[in-house]
Amino acid sequence: MNFFKTFKHDTWVKPYIKQYKGLLITVLLLGLVTSICASALMFTSGYTIDKAATHPVNILLIYVPILLTRAFGIGRPTFKYIERLKSHNWVLRVTSNLRTRLYTTLESDAAFLNEHHKTGDIMGLLSEDISHLQNLYLRTVFPTVISYLLTIIGSLVLGIYNPAFGFFVFLLLAIEVLIVPLASVAIESARRERQKQIKADLYTNLTDNILGADDWIISGRKDDFKNLSAKNISELNTSKNKSKSFRRNRDLFLQLIFAGIAICFIIFTNLTMTDGQEQANFVSAVVLCLFPLSETFIPVSQGYEEWPEYRDSILRLNTLKPVENNLPKQVELDPADFSDIEINNIDFEYDADSPILIKNFSQEIKKGQKVALLGPSGIGKTTILQLILGDLTPQKGTIKVNGHNVQEIQEHREQIFSVLNQKPFLFNTSIMNNVRLGNENKSDSEVKSALEKVGLKNLVESLPDKYETLVGENGSNFSGGEQERLALARILLQDAPVVLLDEPTVGLDPITENDLLTTFFSVLHDKTIIWVTHHLQGIDHVDHVIFMNSEEIEMQGSPHELYQTNKHFNELYKMDQGL
Amino acid sequence: MIDKRLFSLPGTKKLFIMLAGLTLLQAFAILFQGKFLAEALVNSWEQKSLQTIIQPMTFFAVAFILRHCFNWINNKIVENYAENTSEEVRSRLLDKVYTSGPAMISAEGTGSLVTSALDGIDLIENYFKLIFTKLMNMSIIPPVLLVYIYMQNLASGITLTVIVPLVILFMIILGLAAQAKADAQYHQYTILSNHFLDALRGLPTLKMLGLSKRYAKNIYTVSDEYRRRTMNTLRIAILSTFALDWLTTLGIAILAVFLGLGLINNSFPLFPALVTLILAPEYFLPLRDFSSDYHATLNGKNALSAIFKILEFKDTDEEDTLDNFTWDKNSEVNIKDLVFNYTRDQSNADSSLDIDQLKLSGYTNIGVIGKSGSGKTTLIRALGGFLTPDKGVITVNGKSLKHFKQRAWQDELTFLPQSPYLFAGTIAENIAFYAPESTEEQIETAAKKAGLTDFIDSLSLGYQTIIGEGGRGISGGQQQRIMLARAFLANDRHILIFDEPTAHLDIETEYALKKPMKELFKDHLVIFATHRLHWIKEMDYVIVMNNGQIAEQGTPDELSNHNGAYKQLISNMRGDQNELL
Repeated sequence: MNFFKTFKHDTWVKPYIKQYKGLLITVLLLGLVTSICASALMFTSGYTIDKAATHPVNILLIYVPILLTRAFGIGRPTFKYIERLKSHNWVLRVTSNLRTRLYTTLESDAAFLNEHHKTGDIMGLLSEDISHLQNLYLRTVFPTVISYLLTIIGSLVLGIYNPAFGFFVFLLLAIEVLIVPLASVAIESARRERQKQIKADLYTNLTDNILGADDWIISGRKDDFKNLSAKNISELNTSKNKSKSFRRNRDLFLQLIFAGIAICFIIFTNLTMTDGQEQANFVSAVVLCLFPLSETFIPVSQGYEEWPEYRDSILRLNTLKPVENNLPKQVELDPADFSDIEINNIDFEYDADSPILIKNFSQEIKKGQKVALLGPSGIGKTTILQLILGDLTPQKGTIKVNGHNVQEIQEHREQIFSVLNQKPFLFNTSIMNNVRLGNENKSDSEVKSALEKVGLKNLVESLPDKYETLVGENGSNFSGGEQERLALARILLQDAPVVLLDEPTVGLDPITENDLLTTFFSVLHDKTIIWVTHHLQGIDHVDHVIFMNSEEIEMQGSPHELYQTNKHFNELYKMDQGL
Repeated sequence: MIDKRLFSLPGTKKLFIMLAGLTLLQAFAILFQGKFLAEALVNSWEQKSLQTIIQPMTFFAVAFILRHCFNWINNKIVENYAENTSEEVRSRLLDKVYTSGPAMISAEGTGSLVTSALDGIDLIENYFKLIFTKLMNMSIIPPVLLVYIYMQNLASGITLTVIVPLVILFMIILGLAAQAKADAQYHQYTILSNHFLDALRGLPTLKMLGLSKRYAKNIYTVSDEYRRRTMNTLRIAILSTFALDWLTTLGIAILAVFLGLGLINNSFPLFPALVTLILAPEYFLPLRDFSSDYHATLNGKNALSAIFKILEFKDTDEEDTLDNFTWDKNSEVNIKDLVFNYTRDQSNADSSLDIDQLKLSGYTNIGVIGKSGSGKTTLIRALGGFLTPDKGVITVNGKSLKHFKQRAWQDELTFLPQSPYLFAGTIAENIAFYAPESTEEQIETAAKKAGLTDFIDSLSLGYQTIIGEGGRGISGGQQQRIMLARAFLANDRHILIFDEPTAHLDIETEYALKKPMKELFKDHLVIFATHRLHWIKEMDYVIVMNNGQIAEQGTPDELSNHNGAYKQLISNMRGDQNELL
């Protein structure tokens, strides 16, 4: 069965069960005690009444059961309360470990997260997987284990009294907690899978409906607009109805079995416990103690049913493997000594099947030089930046910094290179914290002076929380231009000699773009800059322009020289300027 | 607890009546289940033979089964209702998107609408399911049982009656305390709980800054801090459940003790005592159920009011004022004193609008320029009928209108936004979006005009290649070309509205797109918002927007000969980089 296959090579569930074993056992015991208290409360109550009905001469004779009744009455909620706290505590502890582990695993592949996991929001997905594991414990594992322990203990206790009856009850309970749950998974698993798929399609449909609403309205195709999602909705509902109907029937069936068990108890007590009043006083106790247990046994199927969802999460997490780094021996390079980057005849392709992206590219970049890299999208401009950083290695040719292969300076790479891309990532914390990430040793006043240099001082000081203002999720409290400036301040603190700019102004309006580029090049005047851009706005800030096409370097030179001598450049420049 | 607007949904009243009937039946089944169980047990206690308990035992079994059958029917009815009703709500929601569409989308945000339509509907379906059953159970089952218990044993009846207000009081007090505690921590709390995802998304950045390795420690610390705070809140949050549990189980314990003492004093026989004890947990059960799933109920309720808020969004009226309308070279639109203000909750990246006077006529090409936030997009969207102006005098071919959200007007439009939206479907379907009945040949001709032929030929499935959300990702330039092909194909539409169509494209792609676009401009009224200056050369007339107003308008020649807003804007846009010339 695929259940065992899932866990065969699992490293995300099993090891953590062992890690906080003591706490885990406490949780399970508390859960067990809670159920036992619930049952025992009815047992002692039943006995108290039966015993009292025999009019014992001395009230002391029912004193013990009364005391026990109270104790169990208080015990059940108390143990349940503690159990809930402890189980959450255990799960959250495990979560902290899982998160750290997920982070470290992804960290080893940090530069390529986006390339290697293209489909959708993989980060969101993985972080949700960890929440699924939390639910796996809280909703499936704990209740199931507790119900199994209870089944065994209950059957054993009955078995001591009457082995045949104990075994018979064990079989009936096994239907409730094992057979029906397994059947549930078997029947529902495929259906749930299908529902998940339709739901994903529906998500696409509805996004089409809403993101494309403008176009739909203009087109006047109202019926098509509604039909877009109709098919998936009806298919989803049909499937969900089957699930619901299955669940209703299953729960009814479970109740019928439970009724059967109750009848067995009534008959059994009548047959075996009516040979004397002392014994008969236990009749109600034995029968009544059964009923609270339905709360423990019946939900097991529900917990099982959620298994496919958890299985997907476990499998996905287990496919993540830390990436080995095979870096050569690292050399120390003092940032102050940086002199040049030499790119020598490199070829690059992502894998053997994809076409060669970069062919025979060479370039020498001297300290302090400002270089712009232009070309149509998809031509590999960003790839060149990744090659320079050493995140990618060329199949042929070398990239050297001060004569060292760039792979040899990866350990303290951040001292040599800093990067600013189109959508700089801002963490959802204060402005101060975000900027200081550039260099954690800098004082508040150094952070403030960096913000002043990038032209944000007035804006920030006009905000009610000033430097402690939260930037919002993904920097959403600030405009695109402001986000770029915040990231630039971060880079100023980082103070690396080489700055790579990857289309930092795409999508901004020309006025903002001009202002931003002016700021970039003035605050970074002493740095070496490699700037990937998609048009010619601000091109006169650089010393050297490289135009790439899919074959080769189409033209290169200083912007002034190209404007004078190259017709194509001249046309593009004029178009950009609206001349 | 229940949103009154629920009763405006079809079938709710009928459902209420049916549920009340079924729940009443269920209450009696529970009552008989207890009664016959007690009878059987009393007989066993009296050491009577098996024969004497067969009858009560059978009745017990029948009552037990009936109870769960009623419950089965109850669930079926409620689940059907929940499904039908939530589908009805979803259908109304989609109608609403279509009728008040863009104005509402800008108020609600796309993400929130998709979430409402998909996850929200699931939440309310669950809410319907929970709320009706629980409410009915709580209001019908305990009273029925209580009446019977009073009939059997007065003291037990009183005990059980007294506990309920106590339970409710405790729950309110503790619930409020938990709420206060949770509220106080909420802000920190959300940051902590999102911290992990934030760190994962920011991993490449951390790597660039050389912090990624050290940050792993931080992940653990923050996660553990989150655990600590969660536990602190949880300790109080689940106190109310604890109090409920505690009072109900203690209630049963106290009852048992009372009954025991009563029996010793010989004040009543065993049967009433036993039946009371058996029914006591059933009496409390609806109350316990009601308080569980509290969060599911709350989320459902919130989702429902979010959806009601959308459904109550005001529709525009008078959409069919303009009839028998076609745009030709003699057509004319006159706009006077047009005002539009964004409401407070609308995401207004762009400025509000206040237009004194504007005239659009025949097949002219009109450029709209201005810095970001100057109102270009607002103007374009008002002209497209996506926004309804607060006031204004609009005449189209002499006919006076309140707004441009006219079916006949929109039938003349083709809209090309900054980031084109391609639907999940084939390239052919996307090209034929405005004219779904087109033949293959017509589609191919349009694609050829838009310069798509080479690209489509390079695809193994050609025109049948699936694109859009689930399909093949294609470059921005090709996406714009598909939009152009769409416009070429819809040649019965004579007005083209462009909103910065080339802003995201690299300069060579833009350069290559210029030719087909110029071709498309012919025999069309073109309204073209842009901040790429070279387009101005293709325009017959230019509108310069500033702060939601028209700062200047005229032919490009007129404007460049006049030292005004136009010249100022152009020099700002070019920057100080004319030194190459």
